[in-house]
Amino acid sequence: MEVKVEGGGEFCDASYEKICMTTLRDISLESNIDSVYMNCNAAEHVFIISVKIGRVQSPITVSDMTIKGDERLTVTTETYVPKLLDLLWDRYGEKVEQISRLEIALKIDDDEMQKLMSQVVYDPRVDLNTRILDGIDRILPEGARVRQPIRSTGRITIIASENPIKEEWKEKAKAMLSKMTKGDS
Amino acid sequence: MYKIMMFTGGVYKFSELKERIHDIGGFILQEMVMQTETMMHLAFPEEEERIIRDKAKQTGGKLKELPLAGAEIMVVVPSLGKHHAVDPMCDIAEFLRRKGAITNMMGLARGVGKRIAQITTREKEIIEECDAAVFVFGDFKECLEVKSKICESIDVPYIITGGEPEVKIEHYVGNIGRKTARMRHREEIDMLEILTEKIESLIDDRRRELDEDPLATSPLFMKEILDLVLPPKAGEEFSTIMQLEGLRVKIEAGDEEKLKNVEIGKRKLSDICEIKKSEYDGYILKILPEAVTGNVF
Repeated sequence: MEVKVEGGGEFCDASYEKICMTTLRDISLESNIDSVYMNCNAAEHVFIISVKIGRVQSPITVSDMTIKGDERLTVTTETYVPKLLDLLWDRYGEKVEQISRLEIALKIDDDEMQKLMSQVVYDPRVDLNTRILDGIDRILPEGARVRQPIRSTGRITIIASENPIKEEWKEKAKAMLSKMTKGDS
Repeated sequence: MYKIMMFTGGVYKFSELKERIHDIGGFILQEMVMQTETMMHLAFPEEEERIIRDKAKQTGGKLKELPLAGAEIMVVVPSLGKHHAVDPMCDIAEFLRRKGAITNMMGLARGVGKRIAQITTREKEIIEECDAAVFVFGDFKECLEVKSKICESIDVPYIITGGEPEVKIEHYVGNIGRKTARMRHREEIDMLEILTEKIESLIDDRRRELDEDPLATSPLFMKEILDLVLPPKAGEEFSTIMQLEGLRVKIEAGDEEKLKNVEIGKRKLSDICEIKKSEYDGYILKILPEAVTGNVF
């Protein structure tokens, strides 16, 4: 992930680069983002952040995270267990029992078990935008609550300020964005 | 003047050290014995330091100076959101505690932003109950310059911290700003040291002023008496917090009368203190100068 921050002065640019890196890493977005560009203008209190979305992990199926046994599933990737249990309880109700941390008993027949193994537990693409917006919210200064998104393909761009956002800034953000998209292609 | 230090060591001759502290007219502020390990905050007259150092050496323990002991400091951040908590807010508070201060942390209701940043009268009153305040702001120079104006109305000594290394603001410490991880690197610890030194000098100035116009009695002595008369409940820590000019006392509702009638020397507590219900926690006792109350003992 490439991060570039401009306009805030030497210290602030370095500090915000670090903030971008650690915040996006903390919410596990590091591998889904190609680059982040941020422009800070503290004098006018306008901040522009543009995130280029990168490759996204393919959907996680039950077979990706468990090993099928005799009327039971053994979990191999614990990260998605709450989502798996949610799915199982929803579909099979009382036929499901979590025996231990990594073992789930299922009173269902073989055909049903086979079908279950190909079920999607979690698709990272579904909530990707929400997670990126959460990351952006954590990065942007807290006082900059007036937000304006700029539409483009493959990128999420937000203008933020504590004041109403002027046309001039929208134009400036669009110009920045077109320059960046040229660089992307 | 009293000196406050921290003793850490074993249990060997620990009771003798405690006896010696009482013999020279000192106080034990806090004491913790963990199996064979001991930790104690002690206050003693400055001129008796040699005696305490010799005794501590005999017991094989260590004495550490607590330059901020006896002061209650408020760490103020623009909000309690994830942008400011837990780092650097808690790092600063922890560092101040290591230097002996009692710290409180406060997030302003509308402290975020540049033009929109505000402080309410109640927040100001809560901050002024403490001996000093540390305002932890963000990175940008322009924001710091505007935002520092909300601190100007505060009546207690304060420090402003921010990211930009050089900003023309009084009592400013830079190179801190927004953090997303714990301040544990050498250069970050150095900045915290500089911050502590600045607060220390502000507190020392206040201490010197108090020396020129001494209080009717020492907060240390008053704490000792109050802990006897209104003992803390089981499991309760810091029911009486020392401040430079008095105490913060956390008592149960209904004990107010009892507090007012506590005898300090020849006088009642209400005669030598201003008692005010805290906007935040407990009661604030502000000891009046001896010039106002006359001799107490």
